[in-house]
Amino acid sequence: MSGEDLRWRQQLARELTIRARAPASEVMTAAISFGGKARRIGITGPPGAGKSSLIGLLAKQWTERPSKVGVIAVDPTSPLSGGSLLGDRIRIDGVSTNSNLFIRSLPSGNTSDGLCPNILSLLDAFEQAAFDHVILETVGVGQVSYQAKTLVDTFVVVLVPESGDTVQAMKAGILELADIYVVNKADLPAATKIATELRSIALWRGRNESWVPPVILTSATENRGAAEFSEAIESHRKATLTEERVAALTIARREYVLRTLLVGQIDEFMARNRAGLQDASLAECFRILIAGLGERADVINKA
Amino acid sequence: MEKLRGKRIIIAKPGLDGHDAGAKIIALTLRDAGANVIYTGLRKSPDYIARVVIDEDADALGLSILSGSHNALVAATIECLRKFGGTDIKVFVGGTIPASDHEALKQLGVVAIYTAEMKLDHIVASLAEHLG
Repeated sequence: MSGEDLRWRQQLARELTIRARAPASEVMTAAISFGGKARRIGITGPPGAGKSSLIGLLAKQWTERPSKVGVIAVDPTSPLSGGSLLGDRIRIDGVSTNSNLFIRSLPSGNTSDGLCPNILSLLDAFEQAAFDHVILETVGVGQVSYQAKTLVDTFVVVLVPESGDTVQAMKAGILELADIYVVNKADLPAATKIATELRSIALWRGRNESWVPPVILTSATENRGAAEFSEAIESHRKATLTEERVAALTIARREYVLRTLLVGQIDEFMARNRAGLQDASLAECFRILIAGLGERADVINKA
Repeated sequence: MEKLRGKRIIIAKPGLDGHDAGAKIIALTLRDAGANVIYTGLRKSPDYIARVVIDEDADALGLSILSGSHNALVAATIECLRKFGGTDIKVFVGGTIPASDHEALKQLGVVAIYTAEMKLDHIVASLAEHLG
């Protein structure tokens, strides 16, 4: 590793730690970009679907171009101890070091949307460090964790053949939002069936749109689908990169920051007033809560 | 019982031994003590491990070694860490480490050595002390 490489890696590593731990008051006043040159890709899907392995495949192709690839890999925080076991990078970068790849493993903390605190500020850190791609891997999610959708430019939902019987149930959730579907472990027998079901969902969704979400079959054991997956992400970018969409995404991202800050303040307020809130009626608690937040909302006005 | 809350700790297995039951028990124990633990998986090179430590901005690095090559592997990993500017990282070692080698490892900069007969509570308390 060259001296220059080492310097930016250290800087980015520390910057990410600072931003991940920043309190609400700092997040509000920091000037961050809500989009830019770095292409943002979100990868979500149920636990064990192969999200990390697929990110490894993408990273390998893109870093060889060469382009700089950043990854934020989120794993759950234990609700019992507050600790976490972050194991995504094992499957992302295999054995060798790659100077164009930077992976940060982060715990989901107090969030419950499959992401981690201050996520947009963290994505911006990669933007500032001149990355070409930033991949956001959510925690393994179920049917309704689709918050990452508006935080990224391309939203990928990864499923496996075993997800087959869940597809029906998921039709009114995360499956409505994917820009690209990936059926991983496509060497397994039921892959064709789930791919067919997904294609019909994709066609229905795309009937009035310029973009019909493609269904990509991938398999690590058969070394299949990686190039097609990467091309699909590229095609989606070209097909959807309009000024209107960028403007809409910026609004959604600003709203996301405000909403998460507000939820954070509610949590803090409740924790501080736990004892006091026990005795009053729910209606009274609600009034106290709103009044308490009103005082703290001053900070937003000043920002 | 969350003595390690917020600490970022890498658990790594350098070298060629393929046994990680101990590394996984330590990883879970530290998680339950509130730490954010990143496990690298088996058979990693000292260079790779040191880079993970830098990228993840870790507070501590635990090396689990059962192959008997601990002296060489620990020396090589600490050398890589120094090269990458990670001199403030607390390094601890676990595995089958004979008592006669403990002093030499500490000379290399290892803050603590944990072996199989130790109580897990003791390991957590000791790490918490080292990490302040």
